[in-house]
Amino acid sequence: MSVGIMNSARLSHRLGWLAPLVWLVLLLFACLGMEELEGLFRLVEPDSQAVIYERADFLVLLGRHLLVVGVAALLAILLGVGAAVAVTRPGGRDFLPLVGQLASIGQTFPPVAVLALAVPVLGFGTLPIIVALLLYGLLPIVRNTLAGLEGIDPGVAEAARGMGMTGGQRLRQVELPLAAPVILAGIRTSVTINIATAAIGATVGASNLGDPIISGIVNGNTAYVLQGALLIGLLALCVDSLFARLQPVASS
Amino acid sequence: MIELIHVTKRFGDVVAVDDVSLSVGKGELCVLVGTSGCGKSTTLRMINRLIEHSDGEIHLDGQPVREFREEVLRRRIGYAIQSTGLFPHWTVERNIGLVPRLLKWPASRVRERVEELMALLDLSMGEFAGKYPSQLSGGQAQRVGVARALAADPEILLMDEPFGALDPITRESLQDELARLQARLHKTIVFVTHDMDEALRLADRLVVMHQGRIVQQGHPIELLREPADEFVESLLGGEDRGLKEAALLPVSERMTPLGPRLVAKERVAQHATLREALSIMLWRHVERLAVVDDDDIPIGELSLRRLVGARGHESPGP
Amino acid sequence: MRREAIRPNSALVSLLLATLVVWLGLDTVSVSPNRIVPGQGVDVLGVAGWGGVAASIAPILIVLGLAWRPTPVRLRWATGLVVLMLSALPVWLVVAAALTVDPDMPQARMGIGGGVWVALFLLLLALIELRTRLALSRVLGWALLLVPLASLAACLALGLEPLALRQEYQGRSAAFVSAIGEHLMLVGVAVSLSLMLGIGLAMAMRHWPRAQRMGFAILNFLQTIPSLALFGLLLAPLAWLSGRFEWLAALGVSGIGWAPALLALVGYSLLPMVRNTYVALDGVDPDVIDAARGMGMSRGQVFRQVRLPLALPVILEGIRITTVQAIGLTAVAALIGAGGLGTFIFQGLGQAAMDLVLLGALPILVMALVADALLGALTDLLRPGGAT
Repeated sequence: MSVGIMNSARLSHRLGWLAPLVWLVLLLFACLGMEELEGLFRLVEPDSQAVIYERADFLVLLGRHLLVVGVAALLAILLGVGAAVAVTRPGGRDFLPLVGQLASIGQTFPPVAVLALAVPVLGFGTLPIIVALLLYGLLPIVRNTLAGLEGIDPGVAEAARGMGMTGGQRLRQVELPLAAPVILAGIRTSVTINIATAAIGATVGASNLGDPIISGIVNGNTAYVLQGALLIGLLALCVDSLFARLQPVASS
Repeated sequence: MIELIHVTKRFGDVVAVDDVSLSVGKGELCVLVGTSGCGKSTTLRMINRLIEHSDGEIHLDGQPVREFREEVLRRRIGYAIQSTGLFPHWTVERNIGLVPRLLKWPASRVRERVEELMALLDLSMGEFAGKYPSQLSGGQAQRVGVARALAADPEILLMDEPFGALDPITRESLQDELARLQARLHKTIVFVTHDMDEALRLADRLVVMHQGRIVQQGHPIELLREPADEFVESLLGGEDRGLKEAALLPVSERMTPLGPRLVAKERVAQHATLREALSIMLWRHVERLAVVDDDDIPIGELSLRRLVGARGHESPGP
Repeated sequence: MRREAIRPNSALVSLLLATLVVWLGLDTVSVSPNRIVPGQGVDVLGVAGWGGVAASIAPILIVLGLAWRPTPVRLRWATGLVVLMLSALPVWLVVAAALTVDPDMPQARMGIGGGVWVALFLLLLALIELRTRLALSRVLGWALLLVPLASLAACLALGLEPLALRQEYQGRSAAFVSAIGEHLMLVGVAVSLSLMLGIGLAMAMRHWPRAQRMGFAILNFLQTIPSLALFGLLLAPLAWLSGRFEWLAALGVSGIGWAPALLALVGYSLLPMVRNTYVALDGVDPDVIDAARGMGMSRGQVFRQVRLPLALPVILEGIRITTVQAIGLTAVAALIGAGGLGTFIFQGLGQAAMDLVLLGALPILVMALVADALLGALTDLLRPGGAT
């Protein structure tokens, strides 16, 4: 694992639950108390009538954002881990090279392009975004799950077989627990990308925290943009620090 | 009891094991030796079906191994390997208890058994039970590996170069330990190694393999005295064979009763090997040693002539 | 693994069965009388009748047969056939345009249907699978793709006037070319800047280990913030700065446009760049460095002649990741007026003109793939011991 990630993982471990909690509190405060900051936003937009985005409640937008990302992430984890496990079993080995290559080539696709290409096929709205996020979010999860499962010490795998563990016991008790840190890192990448991509989804008709930004850009209201950007940034940091906390420091 | 009857293993076009027949009796420690790639590991791994044989039959107590369910077969056979294969995310205690738990022993019995095994292998329960494999030294990890292999008290133990990665001193102490355990437990053991000294030291039966075939098998002394061909001879150490044989024989084998002559000044214990006796003679520049018992009381003597096995007037040879 | 009868290549068989299903089940083209009216889907049967169905599924069935007993020779034949099918897809569009679009209606246009897109995707996967099984080199794999590309170029030249994508392009070919230029420019400048900054930062971190943790923490933090948010957050300070300092405004810096885009792009690019450079320089086998010192090389010689050349492939890997990421992020930057191909995507989404979206998204995809392939090939070339 790379130096930076390890260091930040160690750091966040020492902080414990504090970091995600602080971000969460800030996020909720920002959602509920945006009006209190009206004076501040007035500074950037002295001429506009409205400086606080009012078309929808920030809490509702946050909820929708989380719903879209959450549903897509949940499905992507189930499908991605499932697919990676399937192609590493004896029955699915034929598909391993193809799935591995697809997962690594697919990550070259820019998420915006995937989102844009999903619209002509699936149409506008929330559902196409979930599908696009799901498809894109699968790739890092599949790739990391494969890396985690394939990276297990061959001696350990051999011993598990030699001791008479069944395929299912090996998977549940040995392979998945040992691959877990790498899988979790894949899920973290996937969710981080999806939070960002979902915001861009506001341009294709999904109502979420991207809304104030898009609407601010369209109407030339920098205050709206800042409010949306602030909330999305806080959400991303909150979720990311949560994953950093969950991810065990690579113990060898 | 393990029987291999005309067993062959092919990988694609490559014949890894070629028509091997071998019978390992109950309580016997059978060592497979040979250069790397000679098929010794493959032979071992066919016994617990980590590799399926292509032709021939392998029997366990008269029953073909193919008739067992793989997992059931493997749980009946202990297995220890060079890299230990300890699960890095489990504690020592949990690692050792693996097979008993797979066999659904009650928790209390598993714990008792783990305690028993850790005592048997000189691992202090208080110190090691809660440790993870990464916190163990190579020798400790291998002890845990052996304990895990013995956990469900299997009749049969397969060991694939278990001490290969250890430093010479640790390796020797674990070899002694294995010999001690075997004297107590009388398991049927198949042991693979490429370390000839280890093989000679441990084997009841030595099996030399070359290019997938068995070239010679028998008691180590038999092989040392009458190697079947040049390959076995060179594998056994060529010119060094005399010393290797001497290392297998105790002083008591060549000792003569105390004679009328003065007792020699230099001494050797009766349980020492002939090789050690020879070393003392070389070091002290003497041709005669007094053989002493455990209380350091002389009980016989050993001359250089007798040591090298020359037939002479002193007494008829063994 | 005893010597046994050759088993079917189940990956290839599944891919071709799926191709067969989507080819027959989905619309291959959609036709509409003008840009406003949504297209009417037409499937294979509708385009070319039963003869067309038979002719188009014949090669699929043959490859299926070949994949059932996949000897190397048969797989080579299958590779040829898959390349042929890929090359036939543009020809199919020409045929479909001739048969379905009414020549008397100049406004009429034809869109590419889901059947063709999905078949293209599945056949490309089949080609990847074949390349892996036959252990063909990366270069040969790309060379094989030249055949379908040549076919596409020929078809575009000969007659695909009704193709909606082409019509969208012709309407704005000048804008398209300049958008590609802007896109490449932003990516190029951002990657070059972050390369210089990144190498400097990585060396500084090696020099001052205490700065290393802090540095990575900040870069991680930046990378976590979603692109749209970062672009948005940069709007206000830049607008304020350009308002305060006229020379900045004269340079073209403003809250909207290339300035915040470039800043954000460099910010995002730094993490992969610094991380790879740091790991690369740090990961050189200490024994090699030790040996170099032992032979009497000076510190500078060790760095220039040993450490840097050995680290180069990993640094290049960082450039590859950064470039691919920047190509995608630049598309988002179109939202804040930075130009580039993203403009077409968001314009198209705004007007519900899907072919315009494609006109933006497809080149971005191609750019990312090409950048990935080129830089990947370069990395292989520089790796000691040559390509793997």
